[in-house]
Amino acid sequence: MRLSKLLQLPLVLTSLLLPLPVATEHTSNWAVLVSTSRFWFNYRHLANVLSLYRTVKRLGIPDSQIILMLPDDMACNPRNAFPGTVYSNADRAVDLYGDNIEVDYRGYEVTVENFIRLLTDRVGEEMPRSKRLLTDDGSNILVYMTGHGGNEFLKFQDAEEISAFDLADAFEQMWEKKRYHELLFMIDTCQANTMYSKFYSPNIIATGSSEIDESSYSHHADNDVGVAVIDRYTYYNLEFLETKVREPSSKTTVGDLFDSYDSAKIHSNAGIRYDLFPGGEKAARERLLMDFFGNVQNVEVDTTNSSSGNSTDAEWEEDILALGKKISELRKRQEALDLQAQAQVNNSSSVPPPGSLKSEVKLPTSKIRAAKVEVDNSWFGKKAVGAWALAGCSLVWLAGSYLESSPSAS
Amino acid sequence: MALLSSGVLLKRDPRLLKLPPYLSFLCIAVGIAWLLLLPLNDYSRRTYISENALLPGQVHTYFAGSDQHVFRGFKHEVDALEGKSNTEVNDKLEEFFKAAGLKVARQKFEYKSAGEVYQGENIYAILHAPRGDATEAIVLVGAWKNVEEEFNRSGVALVLTLARYFKRWSLWSKDIIFLVTPDSRAGPQAWVDAYHDTQSSPAIQPLPLKSGALQGAVVIDYPFNHRFESLHIVYDGINGQLPNLDLFNTVVSIASGQMGIGVTLQRMWNHKDDYKERLQTMLRGMLKQGLGHASGPHSSFIPYHVDAITLQPYGEGWQDEMAMGRVIESTFRSLNNLLEHLHQSFFFYLLMHSGRFVSIGTYLPSAMLVAINFTIMAIYLWVKSGTPISKSTKVASTMGEKSTPLELVKEGDAIAILPEEITGVRERELFLPLAVVAGTQFLGVLPLYIFNHTTHSMLSIVFGIFTILNTVLPYFISKSIIEYFGPTTQQYQLIKSFSLLLLGMFLSSLATLNFSLAFLVGLFAAPLTYIQPLPGRPILVTVLSLLINVLAPTAVILAGVFAWELNLGEVLKEAAFGWDIWGMNTQVVVWCVWWPAWLVGNILLYGKARDESSATKAVK
Repeated sequence: MRLSKLLQLPLVLTSLLLPLPVATEHTSNWAVLVSTSRFWFNYRHLANVLSLYRTVKRLGIPDSQIILMLPDDMACNPRNAFPGTVYSNADRAVDLYGDNIEVDYRGYEVTVENFIRLLTDRVGEEMPRSKRLLTDDGSNILVYMTGHGGNEFLKFQDAEEISAFDLADAFEQMWEKKRYHELLFMIDTCQANTMYSKFYSPNIIATGSSEIDESSYSHHADNDVGVAVIDRYTYYNLEFLETKVREPSSKTTVGDLFDSYDSAKIHSNAGIRYDLFPGGEKAARERLLMDFFGNVQNVEVDTTNSSSGNSTDAEWEEDILALGKKISELRKRQEALDLQAQAQVNNSSSVPPPGSLKSEVKLPTSKIRAAKVEVDNSWFGKKAVGAWALAGCSLVWLAGSYLESSPSAS
Repeated sequence: MALLSSGVLLKRDPRLLKLPPYLSFLCIAVGIAWLLLLPLNDYSRRTYISENALLPGQVHTYFAGSDQHVFRGFKHEVDALEGKSNTEVNDKLEEFFKAAGLKVARQKFEYKSAGEVYQGENIYAILHAPRGDATEAIVLVGAWKNVEEEFNRSGVALVLTLARYFKRWSLWSKDIIFLVTPDSRAGPQAWVDAYHDTQSSPAIQPLPLKSGALQGAVVIDYPFNHRFESLHIVYDGINGQLPNLDLFNTVVSIASGQMGIGVTLQRMWNHKDDYKERLQTMLRGMLKQGLGHASGPHSSFIPYHVDAITLQPYGEGWQDEMAMGRVIESTFRSLNNLLEHLHQSFFFYLLMHSGRFVSIGTYLPSAMLVAINFTIMAIYLWVKSGTPISKSTKVASTMGEKSTPLELVKEGDAIAILPEEITGVRERELFLPLAVVAGTQFLGVLPLYIFNHTTHSMLSIVFGIFTILNTVLPYFISKSIIEYFGPTTQQYQLIKSFSLLLLGMFLSSLATLNFSLAFLVGLFAAPLTYIQPLPGRPILVTVLSLLINVLAPTAVILAGVFAWELNLGEVLKEAAFGWDIWGMNTQVVVWCVWWPAWLVGNILLYGKARDESSATKAVK
C-alpha cells in the first residue's frame, strides 16, 4: 500500500502535466559553484563554495552533476596551519576538503571565458564530460558565485572580471539553447545584487548578499588558521539549509529561505529577484528548496509499462490504461503525421533536377531536419508546378487546335 | 590688436615687475603655514592597513609557557657572553642556532672611514620554510650592540628563543633569516650589501648561504632585563627613505590592538595626541629624515627596498619579554601572509602619531612652495636684467628734448606701434655671471672631499679652519671680482638669478626624494632670495652679513651640535661614516647645493656695481 502510494505521486503529477505543452517539472539537478578569488587571504571564498558543495552533495546532487570551480588550493597552501583541510567554521568540526571532493575547474582554469563556455556549452571536443554542464530543458540549476565584486561586475582572480551583462547574456543563451528549466542564482560578493540586475531570461530566481554600494562581510575568523573562514550571507544560508533542510524529503520552500534573511545578521541587505519567474513572486516562493539544492525529480514517463507494478488499485489502473491509450493514440497520430511529412519530403525531393542530387546525398541529415520547416514551401511549389503543367497543356491544346484550323483555312 | 598690445604692455608693466618679490615671499609664508597646518585633523589622516593580505593580529600567538623557560636559559647564556670577543660570541651563537636545527653561516667585514677601521663578523641562520618554495625570506635581526652601543641582552636572547620557536611551526611560506650583527651600524650594512652582492670592497666577505628575496626585516633592540611599558618604533632609513607604511601600521595594529602594548615614535614618550605634540613628532621625524643617517640596524635594509623597522621596548611596566616575542610572532605571521612585496601603502609620509599621518600629496606643496620662491625670483631677475633702463628717470631734466623711439610690432595680422623702451631687450652679459656661479658650484666639491677624507682626529680642527675661511672668503672673493671685473648691476642680477635658479631646481627635485631635507635647506636659504649688493649702506651690510653668517651651513652645523649637546668630532665622523658606508648623500646637498648658493648670496652682499651710464645700450 505504502509503496504503491509513493509510486502514485509522480504518476499523478505526470498525468497532470501531459496536456500542457511546457513541463513545469524538472528532470535533473545541477549545481555550478564558483569561487572567483585566489590568494590565502581569500580563504573564506573557497570555504563558502566548499560548504555549498558539501550541502548540495548532502542533499543528493552527485559529483557528476556539480561543477566546482576553485581558483586556489587553500588546503595545500604553506600558510595553512592545518595542512590538507579547509574549514568554514572556527570550531573546525567539518573538514570541507575531506577525502571525496571533485574540483572540476581549478587554478588558472577558473576564468571568465571558461565559465561562460561552461554555461553555454561552447566547448571544444576535447573537453571531458566532467567539465561540461550537460543540462537540458528539464534541468534545474543552482548557480552559486562568490568572490570580490563591485557595481555590475565580479572579479575573477585579480586578472579579469565578468560583468552583469555578460552573465545575463550567458543565461539568455542557455535559455535559448534549452539548457535549463529553472535556475536559482545566488551570489555572495560586495554589491552582489547588481550582478543579477541585468538578467532578462525567464525562469530565474536570483538572490544576492548586498545592495549597490554595500559591502558583504565575513562572518568570523579562525584565529589559528589566521583568516576569515566564511562570509555572512553564505553562513546564514548554510545555517538555514543545515537546520531546516535536513533530508531530501524536506518541503521547505525558496520563500522560507528568503524569509530567513535578516539584514541585522548579514550586515547587508540581501536582495531577491522574482520577476523573471513565471507566476512571479508567488510561484517562485512556492518552489521547494530541494528543487535546486537536492536531487529529487520526476522521471519523465514515456511508456505505459510503468503502470504494470500498480495492479492493486483498479481505479488507477483504469486511468493509466486510458492514459496509455491516449498516449498510443497520440503516438499513432504522430506517426501518421510523420508518414505524411515523409511522403511530402519524398515528393518535394523528386521535384529538383537530377543535378542537385549530389548535394542531397552529401547532407542527408540536414535535409531531414529542415523537412518540417519546408512543408509549406514545397506545397506551394507543387501548386506552381501543377499550374505550370496545366497552363502548358492548355497552350499545347490551343496550339494544336490552331494548327488544325489553319490548314483548313488555306 | 588690443590683445597683442595688452600682452606686450603687461610684460613691461611696472606694477607686474614689482610683484615677484612679494609673490616669492608669499610662497615661503604659505609653505611654512602649510606645514604647520598638517597636524590638524582636517589635513592629516588616520593610518589604515591597505594590504589585504597582511591580516594583522588575526592569529592566536602561542609564544608563551615553556618558551619562557627557554628564553631564560638563552638569556643566561647571552649574559655570560657579555664582554667576550666577537668570534667567541659567534661560536656560541652558532652552537645555539645549530641546536635549533637551522643552517648557520658567518660573514666577516671590514670598513675604513675617517681613518678608523670598523670590523666584525655577522652570524646568521636560515629557517627554510617547510612547505614554502624558498623564493622569499623575512629577516629577524638582533644586533649584539644597539645604536647607543648598549649590550642588546634581551634582544639577542629573544632572537635565539624565537628561532627555536619558529622552527616548530610548519606554516611558513617564506624562509626566515635570524641575523645577529656585532654592531648596529656597519654589520647590518655589510650583510645587506653582501646579500645583494653589492659589497664595495673585498674586505666584506660574500655570504656563503642565501635565501630568497627579502620581503621585510624586523629588528629587536631590547638592551635591558626588566619588564617594559611600551614599544618605540624606529622607522627612518638612510637618506630619509622610509619603509612602507603598511609595515609600521601592522606592528602598531598588532602591538596596540592585539597585545595591548602602547606604541610611540620619534622618542615622544608621552604622546597626548594634541596639536603641539603632533607637530613636535612630525618635526622630529622631518629632522631625522633630513639628516638622512641610519637610526638603527633596519636603516641599511631600506635602500634595498626591504621594508624594515626597529622595535625598542622602553619604560618600566608590566609587559614582559614574552609579550615582545608575541608581537614579533604575530608580525611574522602577517608578513608570512604577504603574496608580493609591500607596495599597497605609502612610501612617502610624515607620521605625527602612531595612528596619524600625512601622505606626500598633502605635504609636498609645502617644500615645493619654498623651492618655487627661488625659481620665481630667478625668473624675475632674468627679466629685470634684460629690461632697458628707463630714459624718463635718467634724463628727467631734459624732457621733451627727444621723442621716445617707436617700434613696429607685428604678431600675425596684428600690428602695433609701441615705444622701443617697452619692447627692447637689453643685451645680457652672461660670461661673468656664469663663471661665478659655475665656480662656486665646483668649489662645493672641496668641503665635500675634505670632510669625507680627513681622519677622525683632524676633523674638528679642519672644520674650525673651514668655518673661519668660510666667514672671510666671500668678502675677498667679492672684492677681487669688483677689482678685476667691475661687474654691472645687470651682472649682479644675473649672478643671483642663476644661483637661485639652480637652488630652486635642486630643491624641487630633492623635495620628491627627501622632502624634509629640501624643506630645511630651503628654509635656511630663504633669506638669500632678498640679498643684493648694497653699496653705500655699510651698517645694513654688516647686519645682513651677520645674519647670513648665522645661517651659513657651517654655523647651522655648529648650532645643531651645541643645541643637542653633541661632540662636533663625533658628528663629523658620523657624517663621514655615513658617506663611506651607508651611501648617505646629505653632505652632497649641503656642500654642493646649499653652500654654493649661500656663498653667492654672501658675495652679492659685499658687491658694488660699476657705474652703468656708459654701459647703457638698448638693442632691439
